[in-house]
Amino acid sequence: MTIRTILAGTTALIAGPAFAQEQVELDLWTIDDPGEYHYVMAEEYMAANPNVTINLRTVQFQDMVNDLARSIATGDAPDITYIDNPEVALFASRGMLMDLSPYIAESDVVNVDDIFPGPLASVTYEDGIYGLPRGANTIALYYNADLFRAAGLDPDAPPTTWDALYETAQTLTNPDENIYGIAFSAKNSEEGTFQFLPWVQMTGGNFDNIATDGAERALNLWKQMIDERLASPDTLIRSQWDSTGTFNAGSAAMVISGPWEIPRMSQDADFDWRVALLPVPEEGAERASALGEGDNVILANTDQPDAAFAFLEFLYGDMDRVWNDFGYLPASNVEVVDPKYPEAYAVFEESMKYARTRGPSPEWPRISGAIQTAIQSALTGQQTPADALAEAQDTISDVVN
Amino acid sequence: MPATSSSFRDGRGFDRMLVWITLTFLIVFSAFPLAYNILMSFQSVDLFTLASFDRPFVGLDNYKEVLTNSATDIIVKNTIVFVLLSVAAQLVIGFGLALFFQQRFPGATWLRGLFLAGWILPGLVVGAVWSWILAGDFGVLNWVLQTLGLTDDKIFWLSDPTNSLYSVIIANVWIGVPFNMILLSVGLSAIPDDVYEAAELDGAGRVWRFLTITLPLMRAQLGAVISLGIIFTLQQFDLFAALTQGGPSNGSNVMQYWSWELSFQDYRIGQGSAVSVLMIIVVIGVAAIYVRSTRHEHAA
Repeated sequence: MTIRTILAGTTALIAGPAFAQEQVELDLWTIDDPGEYHYVMAEEYMAANPNVTINLRTVQFQDMVNDLARSIATGDAPDITYIDNPEVALFASRGMLMDLSPYIAESDVVNVDDIFPGPLASVTYEDGIYGLPRGANTIALYYNADLFRAAGLDPDAPPTTWDALYETAQTLTNPDENIYGIAFSAKNSEEGTFQFLPWVQMTGGNFDNIATDGAERALNLWKQMIDERLASPDTLIRSQWDSTGTFNAGSAAMVISGPWEIPRMSQDADFDWRVALLPVPEEGAERASALGEGDNVILANTDQPDAAFAFLEFLYGDMDRVWNDFGYLPASNVEVVDPKYPEAYAVFEESMKYARTRGPSPEWPRISGAIQTAIQSALTGQQTPADALAEAQDTISDVVN
Repeated sequence: MPATSSSFRDGRGFDRMLVWITLTFLIVFSAFPLAYNILMSFQSVDLFTLASFDRPFVGLDNYKEVLTNSATDIIVKNTIVFVLLSVAAQLVIGFGLALFFQQRFPGATWLRGLFLAGWILPGLVVGAVWSWILAGDFGVLNWVLQTLGLTDDKIFWLSDPTNSLYSVIIANVWIGVPFNMILLSVGLSAIPDDVYEAAELDGAGRVWRFLTITLPLMRAQLGAVISLGIIFTLQQFDLFAALTQGGPSNGSNVMQYWSWELSFQDYRIGQGSAVSVLMIIVVIGVAAIYVRSTRHEHAA
């Protein structure tokens, strides 16, 4: 007891001058668990900046929007939080996020031109920049090279067009062995929109222009693959993670999903798995891919804007290690030295160039809901793809205008 | 002061206190949320105005939107099918089991207790278990059906919109049967044996005894079990969340799940509230039946 008191006294004496710097507390909400991105980064930051204390709180991904809105209403909002990228516009449009552009203009670390167009669009609302991406992800086509060889296909030439994808799936499907040609997710959730929108964008459409010939062709192809049992009917209810589980188990020869699958896949999949860019409608067509992952944002009513931005700067400045340490793709133009899974990284890095944001729109949940409804009612045969998309367009036009 | 303490001692003050504790609890945790819910159903509410009372009133717009929605027909129909089939099957199987365990055989009470295990499991756990059983490609049920040669093709219980509602009903019946059985068992053991013995001496057969003694004497219990069954079934949310999320394409969506979707996924909280108000009206009707059917018990 006495020893501790003396020690504490001495420490205070020695550390005295350092305390001249003001103590700062930052509240940070994250979807991570201890040991993941925000926890690791916050610990490093606190070690380097003893005057800053960061209080972390884990919020479930699906609860983040609800909890954040409630906390803002009751005045308990954190200073900094993670938000999934399509939700930034929702909060920014209501003036709940701090515009970072004046800080970025002064910053030596953040240069807007370095941020890839997709992630940049996701944090931009009207004239402001309301967040910094912590990383990114996107989707591509994983395939089982062993099954390619067994079916007489060239594992070095994965399908590059929609037609080729369909034919390859047909060749690889083997009902006797319980193998589907392809797996993806058409779930009635944000994941369904996430997987479907790139197909629409490749044909020139987008979320606000969904009733196009290209979108209809994409939806028809999805439907055909499920109707002909090239993909499991459970595609309608499986998440991307679950769909990829069937690929890892050898029950699907190809799967469309993102880089977050790699750690599990390299453990579970005892075959030669590879990754290719998403196939395009026809040779030479425009490429598109989904943009996932979220952003670090500062709440508008923070009482520590400078300290909060300093931490965001620190997070952004470590973009070159997010792939190796946390499994995200960099959202800005940085050089990743000695990446893990180099072949997969090369494909995803290229795919990032085509990653397009969902929205941005403050009404994104309703837009996404309309797209999910269209996908599901077409795939279950309740509506033709054309009718389903036309109905979605009506809803979306109402929301957007 | 002496008056208060004596009234406390002789019980009247104490009685009042107990009543007020209960009343306060009900007002804070039942009446207030109910009234607040009704209020929100007439307002335009989104996530950001949830905590303030100052919101634009929109009259009956929320109800109009909800009732004219293209999904309304199928959701209302699903709700009715879900409630009727679940309650009917729970009652028939539960009553059958209650009668079965009423026969005195070794281990009857013990086995009856075991049945409750299903009922105390959280809905999400039950949902997870059933989603493995009902899975299309690797489900246990499909394996059994195919091994027994009952079906050639896999049945996609959860992802085929013609099956998905019935899959949730199967799981819900499984959850509800033990509760029905226990409640009806209590009623059955309250019927004195000599009534049956007298009837048997008079030459009444098993079926006749069931129809003329068991059923009439069980009327109150049956009424209670049916009304509680309807209320529990209208509350059933976890199974939908765990099994089908109301899908595919609203194929298994019911009003309670839809209300949640509107409020917490689309953030149209006013409309979500309108749906739950419509459900409250139904539940009040059912609760009235429940109160009527149990009133005799208190009189007795």
